[in-house]
Amino acid sequence: MSQAEASQAGAPPVVTGRRPQSASGFLSLFRNELHLTFRRMRTKVLLGILAVLPVLIGVVVKLNTDSPHEGGGGPSFIAQTTQNGLFLVFTALAVALPVFLPMTVGVVAGDSVAGEAATGTLRYLLVAPAGRTRLLAAKFTAGLVFCLAATAAVAVAALATGAALFPLGEVTLISGDTIGFADALLRAVLVAGVVAVSLAGLVAIGLFVSTLTGSGIAAMAATVGLVITVQILDAFPQLDAIRPFLFTHYWLSFADLLRAPMYWDGVWKDLGLQAAYVAVFGSAAWSRFTSRDISA
Amino acid sequence: MTDETVTGEQLEEGVPYRSRRRTLVRAGVPVAVAAVIAAGVGLVPALAADSPPDLPALSAEQVVAKALGSDAQSLSGTVSVSTDLGLPSQLLGAAAGGLGAAAGRGGDQGKGSSADPQSKLLGLLGGDQTLRVAVDGPDRQRVDLLENMAGYTLVHNGDQSWAWDSSTNSAVHLTGRPAAGHPEASKAPKTPLTGVPTTPQEAARQFLTASAGTTSVAVSGTANVAGQKAYQLSVKPTQSGSTVAEVRIAVAADNGVPLSVVVKSTDGSTVLDVHFTDVSFAKPAAKTFDFAVPKGAKVTEQKADEAGKGAEAAKGAEAAKGAEAAKGAEAGSHQGDAKDHGGVNVIGEGWTAVVSTQLPSAVEAPAGDAQGKGDGKQGKRHGQPLNPQALVKSLGKQVGGGTLISTKVVNVLLTDDGRVFAGAVTLPVLQHAAGVN
Repeated sequence: MSQAEASQAGAPPVVTGRRPQSASGFLSLFRNELHLTFRRMRTKVLLGILAVLPVLIGVVVKLNTDSPHEGGGGPSFIAQTTQNGLFLVFTALAVALPVFLPMTVGVVAGDSVAGEAATGTLRYLLVAPAGRTRLLAAKFTAGLVFCLAATAAVAVAALATGAALFPLGEVTLISGDTIGFADALLRAVLVAGVVAVSLAGLVAIGLFVSTLTGSGIAAMAATVGLVITVQILDAFPQLDAIRPFLFTHYWLSFADLLRAPMYWDGVWKDLGLQAAYVAVFGSAAWSRFTSRDISA
Repeated sequence: MTDETVTGEQLEEGVPYRSRRRTLVRAGVPVAVAAVIAAGVGLVPALAADSPPDLPALSAEQVVAKALGSDAQSLSGTVSVSTDLGLPSQLLGAAAGGLGAAAGRGGDQGKGSSADPQSKLLGLLGGDQTLRVAVDGPDRQRVDLLENMAGYTLVHNGDQSWAWDSSTNSAVHLTGRPAAGHPEASKAPKTPLTGVPTTPQEAARQFLTASAGTTSVAVSGTANVAGQKAYQLSVKPTQSGSTVAEVRIAVAADNGVPLSVVVKSTDGSTVLDVHFTDVSFAKPAAKTFDFAVPKGAKVTEQKADEAGKGAEAAKGAEAAKGAEAAKGAEAGSHQGDAKDHGGVNVIGEGWTAVVSTQLPSAVEAPAGDAQGKGDGKQGKRHGQPLNPQALVKSLGKQVGGGTLISTKVVNVLLTDDGRVFAGAVTLPVLQHAAGVN
């Protein structure tokens, strides 16, 4: 195959030049990455933990339903969850989004390049006629797919738990309006999608950190540590000037989709911010990865 | 040796992915991307804030008349409320608790449901809030407070009013016509319960009606607010001793609806900024004002007159806190109703009006205990969870004649004998009103 291409081009295969780009080539690379990510025991365990979280929340809320506490406190949407199991999806996402989801995404994204460099497989990947840019793109896309999978794990487990423990049916939104179950289910899918895309910026950051080091553990720890640091910074009112630019700032804006009519302001800001982070850190990762000396 | 080094360098330059220049160029890419994004973030608002629209010149009176005579019956939109009174947050919490207690005393059934508007809307005093408002004539209004991961909704439809709090799944149901001053009567030119206007209309009307005699009103150009062409009214107090420097009101050129209100204090900071971020004057859908009791909600039933009583009590308590700048001038008109609840007096008029009252020793104390001059200290109970006097003393600073709590606009003086003087005025004015120096 590659010989045929080379003879068509009328030149001997050059190791250092550009490889012919093709969609199918990218797809096979992407499939490889998906395989690599999701066949790992670690990934399965992470997804399992994410799926257990809603069950835990559901059971705790169920046990406390008999003696509901007055006023706020506790995770968001608790009052709604006892009325409708579907709201457990939103409660679980709101609980998982600040810590658990970014942690798993940080592990997967942080390990993507550095882990392969550490085990020595990165060299073989680069020898194959793939091109570093395409390899990076494939890894980023696989990271996005993991975000979707992680969010879906939380949402589906929460929906199942909610259906088992609480009544379903018409859903009261947080603006006090009531909508049918099918509509509400659509909103749940939409919210899960928004949550998954909200993690795109973190994937880009993790990928960039991953290109900086040859140690997978270091990259994972740095990425997860960054998420925590940024969220701590986001809690300081004194930092009002920079807070809107922190990638975690609008994460919980997905709750605005549970109003009638939906309030998209915060969600658009969130998505725009994620796009900016993907552009900056994606290009930084590309710049680092394509000019880096892969020694391991 | 030397030759070898040279060849080494040449070799290195020949190796891809290692060239220093290429590395530099590539390192420049993310920097350039970041710069482009930063420039975009900085430039887009600058470009969006296009030049002020050309409008026929109008006198201040004409613009005020336009605003007061606005016959826009229906509108819907999003309102951004940003308050920076410089209030200590502990005081806000205590005030909210006090209001709950006051409301509980006012209405027998008002056992402080968390959906009670009085304590809830006090949250507007601190920080930034987004509200969605929909108005269809004087009988149907809706205000949605978009809280962080929760919602608070007020719906008024004919003789039915609902207040709904999503975080506790509880609602307050009010039957009968809402009493004057109820927050849901958002078109009526009345002070809402917390004194913080929830729509630009209320805010502008407050300022415009309260301003006669003590105020200079001028038109200061035009502006675009929420996509509408608007005249900018500049309202300035002519009396000395006020802490309010200027109030700017944008009045829609088309129909006279006030679109934004900005209050600036004498130290130059913006204290209150209420503006529409988007607005439509089309009739809102009828179902906007239909409110059905959400499944499983705790509903507190109230009759309008009882709620009114609660509202008055709350108003009295709130006036004592002196929490609102616009209050001073407006409070005079409410003096009559407020007097029955806690002995609130207004000294002076216009911008330099000072509200005075007797501070109860403890909010939980029975009403009889709290009233009457001089028993402030005797009624003091140790171990009470909330003692306003102790709280004020711990927050304020000692000045001649008492303790001063100073915010950006409102100053509150607690005299040593337990009287409270509050107003959007400087300390000497307060001391003069209190007769101490």
